[in-house]
Amino acid sequence: MIGRITFKELRNAWKVILVICMVTLIYSVGMPTIFPLYRSSIAEELEGASKVQITLPNETHSYVTLSWEALENSTSYIVLEDNRSMMLTAEIKYEGNETSITFEKDFTEKRYYAVMATIEGASEPSLIGIATTEKSDPFKELLDNPVYRSFAGGRSISMLEVKGFITMEFFILWTMLAGMFIAYLSVSILAGDFENRHMDIWLSKPITRRRYLAEKFAAMTTISLIVSITAAIGLIAGLASINSLNELSAYATLISVMAGLPTLMVIAAVGTLSAVSFQKVRAGMGISFAFVFAQLFLRTFGSFSKDLELMKIVSVFTYWDYTAAIFDTTFNAGDFTLLIVVSLLIIAAAIWIFKKKDIPT
Amino acid sequence: MKIVIGLGKTDIAMEIENLTKMYGNHVGVKNLNLTVYRSEIMGFLGPNGAGKTTTIRCCLDLIAKTEGRITIFGLDSSKDAIAIQKRTGYLPGDFGLPPAKVRSFLGYLLSLSGCDSTRKMNELAERLDLDVERRTNELSKGNRVKVGIVQALMADPELIIIDEPSGLDPIVGLEFRRIMREEKRQGKTIFLSSHDLSEVETVCDRVAIIKKGQLRVVERIQALQEKTGKVLEVEFADRFDLKEFQIDGVRGIQQENNRITMTIHQNLNRTIQALSGHRIVNMSLKSYSLENLFLKYYSKEAGGGAQHDR
Repeated sequence: MIGRITFKELRNAWKVILVICMVTLIYSVGMPTIFPLYRSSIAEELEGASKVQITLPNETHSYVTLSWEALENSTSYIVLEDNRSMMLTAEIKYEGNETSITFEKDFTEKRYYAVMATIEGASEPSLIGIATTEKSDPFKELLDNPVYRSFAGGRSISMLEVKGFITMEFFILWTMLAGMFIAYLSVSILAGDFENRHMDIWLSKPITRRRYLAEKFAAMTTISLIVSITAAIGLIAGLASINSLNELSAYATLISVMAGLPTLMVIAAVGTLSAVSFQKVRAGMGISFAFVFAQLFLRTFGSFSKDLELMKIVSVFTYWDYTAAIFDTTFNAGDFTLLIVVSLLIIAAAIWIFKKKDIPT
Repeated sequence: MKIVIGLGKTDIAMEIENLTKMYGNHVGVKNLNLTVYRSEIMGFLGPNGAGKTTTIRCCLDLIAKTEGRITIFGLDSSKDAIAIQKRTGYLPGDFGLPPAKVRSFLGYLLSLSGCDSTRKMNELAERLDLDVERRTNELSKGNRVKVGIVQALMADPELIIIDEPSGLDPIVGLEFRRIMREEKRQGKTIFLSSHDLSEVETVCDRVAIIKKGQLRVVERIQALQEKTGKVLEVEFADRFDLKEFQIDGVRGIQQENNRITMTIHQNLNRTIQALSGHRIVNMSLKSYSLENLFLKYYSKEAGGGAQHDR
């Protein structure tokens, strides 16, 4: 008899589960397959960055010089100062094949420059390259941004490698998407029973409120497992399609996704708790979604500095360390167990509240 | 005052003692005492908002009691809820059905009740003309009530609690009453909440009347009928004398032109004999409505204790 409610919930929700799995599959297979295109486009940009050399002021002078190789068919060049959206008016010097522009550095902030060439017969100017006054690689600079680093587990990663791409492009959205799916389902399958007045019939049968809730949570855990396995399978299939399983193994991919299972269980438990507390789909959903977003923000802001580390510690997403799985093929069983215990404690609280509250008519 | 004649504790199916349920400052039920005996059909009457559903939901532990004690088959309604639910069937007054095929939904509930046999489920569905192959979200209000009745009775419970079964068409309503009487003959106890006196009159052995959260009276149905009487309205084509109808057990005679209205408690035969000497244009005999019942007999008892009879 145990498990009947779980089984029934899974049967009832099969259409929603199917849709979620389809979306998951499209996303997880699709993401690695666009990597080659992404890599070539980034490489092109980086190449562009190296085409313009920048000479910064030193002890002897206070000028900035941008230099680049002249293009054969160009008629003139435009140098844009990006963060002020204006064109530099200094004179461009032509010395054989070498072209340069020099201007005084009368500012302290970081500025970006883009050199463009007007080509004979072309309607629009072409980008030759870009440069900044502080770093030569703006992409590296972007990846060093604390927000990005929070998603990369504090690592400096390269977007030119499949590991870096999956970490940054797949997992940033996936953590949020999976969290939202589970928050939505956990609230709707439970609060729906209150709102649609099913509860009187369910609870007039010989089942305890504890069993009813525990089996609903078991259904949510099963759905989390199905969605995670689907994502892992999709990701592995996508990596295989671009022959990248030698760079990121199937095992590392699998554990990077499955490490999120207890995080999803905590979200499902919070959804369950808010559903029994408010007994309304809309209120429960609001609380659950707010929880998911708040947890993501806590993880992100907690990574900004050591002073904010406490924020990071209380975020469940911190313990979904997909970067450790991807880069080191390691899996933290302690964190995994801790989150399962946390989810069970939240469910125990939900059962306690459920037992105390009247069933609304 | 509670009068129980010649019956022991083992004959009691359900006993409610000093039940109080408060919703904040609002009284749901106050200090209610009621005993339902095995193998009887107890009607539970009251206007909307009287506290009928609150009482029933306390019995089934769907809502917590503020005070008091409820025992069903000698078991505590809160502590032994599961043991009670195994022996109880419940038709809620207002309920929704999850989207599913009726047969699969009922089968699922049957499995939750720990019952393997679908015999009674099929038998009830057939008698109530319920198509179990349809989906629940395609059903009319009446058909949804039929699903509710089947799920309440299909596991063959000893106690059946029914909360205002409305929406059935007259033919199915008659069949349902027949089913209730059969269940009683098989030794089942039925606690039927209703605001329809005529429905209660036709099936119940006793009736408890509740108003504003307080139990006003518990009566055998026959005694209640004698007290309330029937309202006879007659329209004459010829002349008549009111003295002709001054018969023992006939009260409240009122005349309006060629029409008279009277309440008959006893001696219906003698009244008909008196009428037989006249040419009659129209005549109707009906039960008192619950509202009239309260006005006529129980308004004076408001705030007082309930009368119990067995």
